[in-house]
Amino acid sequence: MDNDQADMNTALMVDGNAVAGQLEQIFGRDMTMAIARCAGCARDAQMGALMAFIRGPGIVLRCPACQNAIARIVETPSATYLEARGAAYLRMAPQA
Amino acid sequence: MVQPVLEWQAGRVTAIRPETRQTKSFSFALPKWMAHRPGQHYDVRLTAPDGYQTQRSYSIASPPERLGEIELTVERIPDGEVSPYLHDVLMPGDQLELRGPIGGYFVWEVSLGGPLLLVGGGSGVVPLMAMLRHRAAQHSTLPARILYSSRSAEDVIYRDELDGMAAADPTFEPFYTFTRQPPAGWTGYRRRIDATMLAEVMRPFDRRARVYVCGPTLLVEAVANALVQMELPIEQIRTERFGPTGA
Repeated sequence: MDNDQADMNTALMVDGNAVAGQLEQIFGRDMTMAIARCAGCARDAQMGALMAFIRGPGIVLRCPACQNAIARIVETPSATYLEARGAAYLRMAPQA
Repeated sequence: MVQPVLEWQAGRVTAIRPETRQTKSFSFALPKWMAHRPGQHYDVRLTAPDGYQTQRSYSIASPPERLGEIELTVERIPDGEVSPYLHDVLMPGDQLELRGPIGGYFVWEVSLGGPLLLVGGGSGVVPLMAMLRHRAAQHSTLPARILYSSRSAEDVIYRDELDGMAAADPTFEPFYTFTRQPPAGWTGYRRRIDATMLAEVMRPFDRRARVYVCGPTLLVEAVANALVQMELPIEQIRTERFGPTGA
């Protein structure tokens, strides 16, 4: 990836808060406070703080520490796909 | 408490108010309104005649004390898919698909305590305004400051309201910085937010401040890094990145 493209990707990046609605649709609860452990570097991050790339046909969530792709979400007219190979686990506290 | 399923509902536009050249505030009456936490957002969905759908999330500007309605302040992005429709087409009385309130990470309410330092860039001020309006509605005297970066005086959203709040409340103080065109005679900050500026604004709060940072990604990165270097405990910092364009 050349520098211009890297800069552009950084400029277009948002965070997990921006896809809280899609996550809540999938999980049935707020996920921005849930912890995702990165399968790449084993560090924990709140899902609201993951790096989010939302301008493509799907959504990509990346680890803020190592940039490993934690999860990808694609919505089609007939189904929603969630691929989360990049997460070792998600940890959710009981809801208040 | 199990939270209700997040579902789309038709909000009716009750008012549209221009804020700046690029931003307008839209009030919606919601049939299934529920109290939000300041800092949360709603998703807005548009559907084209051919069935194509697109959605964006917009921060709530109003406080939860405003019952039955929410207000979203939206920046017009010239090549955006949603914001030009909201700005150029939507009229009072129209209906729009909304779902929310959404998010539990970037939220503050009086019960979480203070002192409160809000740092915003551009339309990143919107969720911070919901926090300040909530604080005012609760007559809270938790010390609060906002450091707000704009390109020019014309780009400052809510300027009159922020100054009015400060005039009525000695425990709240706004600080502005202008990155391109400061107002004539301006003697305050005129540069991007940096560690020196943050330290000056945060000084009376020391390291007790709860800090909420919202704005373009590069601003949020710079501020968050500076706060960590100042040894503010990381659990007292909450960030929300808007991308270049208000997401």
